[in-house]
Amino acid sequence: MSSLFKKKIERKKSLSRKEISLARLENFRKEVITDTHSVPLGELCRRLYTDRETGLRPEQAAEILAKTGPNTLTPSTKTPEIVKFIKTLTHGFSILLWIGALLCFAAVVIRMITTHEMDSDNLILGCVLVVVVVVTGGFTYFQEHKSHKIMESFANMVPPKATVIRGGETMTIMSKDLVEGDLVEMKFGDRIPADIRVIHSQGFKVDNSALTGESEPQFRGNECTSDNILESKNFTFFSTNAVEGTARGIVVACGDQTIMGRIAGLTARLQPNKTPIARELEHFMKIISVWACFLGVIFGGAALAMNYSWIEASLFLIGIIVANVPEGLLATVTVCLSVTAKKMAAKNCLVKNLEAVETLGSTSVICSDKTGTLTQNKMTVCHLWCDSKIAHADSTTSQDEAKEYNGSEGFKVLMRCATLCNRAEFIHGEEDKPVLLRQVRGDASEEAILKFVELTKVESSPSIFRHNNPKLLEIPFSSTTKYQISIHGLENGRCLMVMKGAPERILARCTKIFLNNKTKELSDELRHICDKACTELAEKGERVLGFCDLLLDEKYHKDYKFCAEPPNFPRRELRFVGFMSLIDPPRPQVPDAVQRCKSAGIRVVMVTGDHPITAKAIARQVGIIQAEEVIDACNMNIIETLPVFKDKAIVIHGSTLRDMTNEELDDILHNYREIVFARTSPTQKLQIVEGCQRLGEIVAVTGDGVNDAPALKRADIGIAMGISGSEVSQQSADMILLDDNFASIVTGVEEGRKIFDNLKKSIAYTLASNVPEILPFLAFVLINIPLPLGVMAILCIDLLTDMLPAISLAYEKAESDIMQRPPRNPKTDNLVTRKLYFLAYGHIGIIEAMGGFFVYFAIMAEHGFKPHQLFGLRQKWDSETINDLVDSYGQEWSYISRKELEYTCYTAFMISVVVTQWADLIVCKTRINSICQQGMGNMILNISLVVETVVACMLSYIPNMNYLKFYPVMFRWWCYSLPFALFIIIFDELRKLHMRKYPTGWYRQETYY
Amino acid sequence: MPSSNNLRKQPSRSLSKQDELLSIQTQYFVKLEDLKLTRKQKCLRFVYDTDTKKVMGRTPTSWSKIGLFYLIFYGMLAALVAICMWVFLQTLDPRIPKWQQDASVIGTNPGLGFRPMPKDNEESTLIWLQGTNKANYLNWFDNIMEFLDKYYTPGKIEKGNAYLKTCSYTEWPTETEVCEVDVKDWGDCSRDQFFNYYRSSPCIFLKLNKIYGWTPDYYDDPYDLPPDMPKHLQDHIRNITRLEERRNIWVSCEGENPADVEYLGPVQFYPPVQGFPGYYFPFRNSEGYLSPLVAVRFLRPVSGIVINIECRAWAKNIHYNRAERMGSVHFELLID
Repeated sequence: MSSLFKKKIERKKSLSRKEISLARLENFRKEVITDTHSVPLGELCRRLYTDRETGLRPEQAAEILAKTGPNTLTPSTKTPEIVKFIKTLTHGFSILLWIGALLCFAAVVIRMITTHEMDSDNLILGCVLVVVVVVTGGFTYFQEHKSHKIMESFANMVPPKATVIRGGETMTIMSKDLVEGDLVEMKFGDRIPADIRVIHSQGFKVDNSALTGESEPQFRGNECTSDNILESKNFTFFSTNAVEGTARGIVVACGDQTIMGRIAGLTARLQPNKTPIARELEHFMKIISVWACFLGVIFGGAALAMNYSWIEASLFLIGIIVANVPEGLLATVTVCLSVTAKKMAAKNCLVKNLEAVETLGSTSVICSDKTGTLTQNKMTVCHLWCDSKIAHADSTTSQDEAKEYNGSEGFKVLMRCATLCNRAEFIHGEEDKPVLLRQVRGDASEEAILKFVELTKVESSPSIFRHNNPKLLEIPFSSTTKYQISIHGLENGRCLMVMKGAPERILARCTKIFLNNKTKELSDELRHICDKACTELAEKGERVLGFCDLLLDEKYHKDYKFCAEPPNFPRRELRFVGFMSLIDPPRPQVPDAVQRCKSAGIRVVMVTGDHPITAKAIARQVGIIQAEEVIDACNMNIIETLPVFKDKAIVIHGSTLRDMTNEELDDILHNYREIVFARTSPTQKLQIVEGCQRLGEIVAVTGDGVNDAPALKRADIGIAMGISGSEVSQQSADMILLDDNFASIVTGVEEGRKIFDNLKKSIAYTLASNVPEILPFLAFVLINIPLPLGVMAILCIDLLTDMLPAISLAYEKAESDIMQRPPRNPKTDNLVTRKLYFLAYGHIGIIEAMGGFFVYFAIMAEHGFKPHQLFGLRQKWDSETINDLVDSYGQEWSYISRKELEYTCYTAFMISVVVTQWADLIVCKTRINSICQQGMGNMILNISLVVETVVACMLSYIPNMNYLKFYPVMFRWWCYSLPFALFIIIFDELRKLHMRKYPTGWYRQETYY
Repeated sequence: MPSSNNLRKQPSRSLSKQDELLSIQTQYFVKLEDLKLTRKQKCLRFVYDTDTKKVMGRTPTSWSKIGLFYLIFYGMLAALVAICMWVFLQTLDPRIPKWQQDASVIGTNPGLGFRPMPKDNEESTLIWLQGTNKANYLNWFDNIMEFLDKYYTPGKIEKGNAYLKTCSYTEWPTETEVCEVDVKDWGDCSRDQFFNYYRSSPCIFLKLNKIYGWTPDYYDDPYDLPPDMPKHLQDHIRNITRLEERRNIWVSCEGENPADVEYLGPVQFYPPVQGFPGYYFPFRNSEGYLSPLVAVRFLRPVSGIVINIECRAWAKNIHYNRAERMGSVHFELLID
């Protein structure tokens, strides 16, 4: 596979770095198809020009190294930071605002050239616009600026040194100098430095849980056991851990070509979908921009047609752009999201990507890894069989359920056997800790048994018991014999042989059985009962171990020299004592969390690298599978002949998945509610996620292992485990559950849905004030009245007075039980819907605008310009040469005082918008409930009302604000828009009342956003 | 696992709820036929959908419903505005502004205005006079006459309850009287002489902005005149012996720069008192009130050169600021 890959790259040398990166991504996506694990060893050695005894010659190795490059992971190409920054500066509304700013500067320059006067108004405005763009751009940039350290985290998994045999000599080299064909020595505790085919092994076991999700250490020998490289027993993978034994093997893949390297490359290069909220915002900004451009062009054109000068037309354009664009909205949304992110962090959900806060709320499918996510990644004794009955083993400290079995003699004998035939030991110095938290040296299953024994307290403490019954001989577990034997000297002087192993092997050696306090002959009937019990446990996905013992004859006393090779003691006709079965149990909170997800309309799909039986058992336990009937799709034939059963669950094997087309996968994902994917490879996890996304679902992926990383990255939201999760998974994820508690996801969903609702309210609030910003300009152009609201005042509304109230809506509590409704439909249930535009623009905005115009006309009239006089007055009003404009009372106004009056109107108009926005804020607190039901408990919102008012006062009453065209406003003018504010509240309360009363009524259809 | 046991025992009711949710969920899936449509087809279907009879996304009934709703809603809103406006207008007096002088934005610093104002260009203050061109000076004549019409034919302005009175420094008007402006006071700057435009010694009329209730504070003490007051105006004031006759808002006109002063030549003011007599103030918006005017005649301005002229009004409560054009007026004169 490596040669193929290299050729591709060489051929494309002329391509850009980005294209190479893409090509690599496509290559990484493909499933590994290789025969390096299955070809005869001699053939492999020939292929790699190596020797199975002496390895590569050093100079040969150096040559290959020069050709293939070091055994490291190639980092993905990165976009330069400055490019990213510029991108944020030209993103969304920024383009429009840039246009506005440029028009301002152009107006200044033209004025400079023609009249040599400084047009300070436009200069200030242009500068403010530029500052707004740069500040919001910078704000977004720093929020999005997440250091993606995926590659670094993968690099951390590479061991620094490796032991190789080159030219017959054993040497330690830097693992980056490792090349294909190298002969490598591995021992327990090492990290595997490359993908290695094992040619010689001594009890060698590796921990593959990061890669495949199998909880137990896997034995590795020199036999090829499967066509699938991931399942073959003669292959060890780059960066997995050796836990036991020693082995020697030949490197067959290095660096990026290793299984892990491919996962790393895939993960680092995958581009996740845009988050739903980003898509929503983009859509919204597109609509607003198009609308702004449309209005701008129409009115710019109209102005030109009405013989306004180019400069004036461009000033209209600036005004219309500034009025249409909610400048503060992006910052508001970001702050709202970070407010929720903080809340979630307090509930142990650390959000890395701010936009992911909402994604969880829209999630419709959770693809969950099993090991370490749904389960504890800790083998535990689950059931035991003695006295011909299965008992549920109680592994809690309280031992409440243990009463039904722990009195019997059979149980004691089983426990004796389990204690003695066990190599695991507690680590010293942790005796005070609770048993379950104490660390154990040894195999995961043995650890589980040891802890169980310790908890049952049948034989005081295992260590003391073992001390009293010293071990005389031990034959460790091997994959060929599949059992483990130890011989102990008992206190009474006799010797006991105990044996543990695969149940069928153990039963084959037994002729007696210990049953109800008596040793009986193991009749065929009893044997059948034992077999049945064993099968029953195995079907639960549990790992069953059989136990037997034999009290040796007196001739085998303590001083007898027991010998393992060849064994000089009887190993047949043993006495069977019972089974114990182990499983990696689900985390206790998971079943409840899964149930809550389901009731919130979210499907939970299990995607695991583990065996189908285990996967199914866990799926049942946690409630992912609730259906009575489960279809096992272990091969393609089943899929092809499958009728559609919606009420059935399905378990799909990885090998089946490999043969399925995308359409078939889509059908499965569509038709089955309860799905478990077992034995999946990392790329298949990715395939499943992409399948769901193809169906328009929003997918959350939970996982803890390296094998989950690509899926985590590709998912709409990747959720990693904080304690047990690997660093790679945490780097690829958008969210980290700090306490590993799956139930936190439910909290996340709840918060996500709430913030989505609240963002809607926030946007509805912000958009409403756009109408009183736009209409003055339109009135200015169309009916030729003096401008009622200046551009600077518009900016102050958008950026100062409206900001905090909009943010405060993020703190609003949910209106109903948001966990009882299905996830939103990303196609129709948008953030900003047509109804929202109608309500914000067509209803509330218009009322606000009317309030503003009323205040404007009132102030003008109080000063002498009655409304009818204002129409068509614009030219005279704005002419600097007319110093004696007559008002309705015969008074004559100079240009200066006229402008002061106009600016007073700007301020008053702004204040009227503030006043009506008070009402709007109260109205926006709820979407359907009455304000009386919701209450005014949101203190942040109440404070924001005060702050908003104080800001408006400051703008109006600070004397130096004259430079920005703000003038003091009489107190009574504040009150003029109160009727309109009241009208907003009354109208909206009536609307909501109607909506509550008639849930299918016209009002609800048309205005429930 | 106790909880898992519970789950298995759960009634089938929860399953049916799940089914319901699933059916909602399946609606999410992309409709295949939607994907097949091109952008143009989608647009066309949006404009008119033959299947659902939807025009622009709505059926005709839906359109009429929403149209009716907005009609009612905006009708209510319009009613609200109308009520507010009506109530508000009731609080206004038809003759007396609500806010006066310092309470109003208009303030207490009246500006000066001049006539004729160039009409062809709104932004220009250049009076470009071609004395030999009859069309040109008739143009300026018409311009002035448009403004002076009501002075020459006082009958044109509506008669109110105020009586027209010929005022003098000793006979000030009462509340119910307004002072007459006598066109004969303008001497050479009369209608009959075409305001002397044809002689290239044009008359410019100056007026003070009317501000309701504003009373001037006169420079009536010859020994307490501001130092920046032109010398000849100071002399003029000192030459007036009677105190009550010094109750005027004085007017001066000069070239802005020394060169302009030279080009401008002598200036004559009508009425000869060189100011707005005090008895015209305060302005109370009485019907029939006419602003007093001062006609300025430039006797021998140099032709062929643009002359910058600034006229100022002088009273203790008229503040002067050239940049903001307070208390003064600026215009240019060009005579060909």
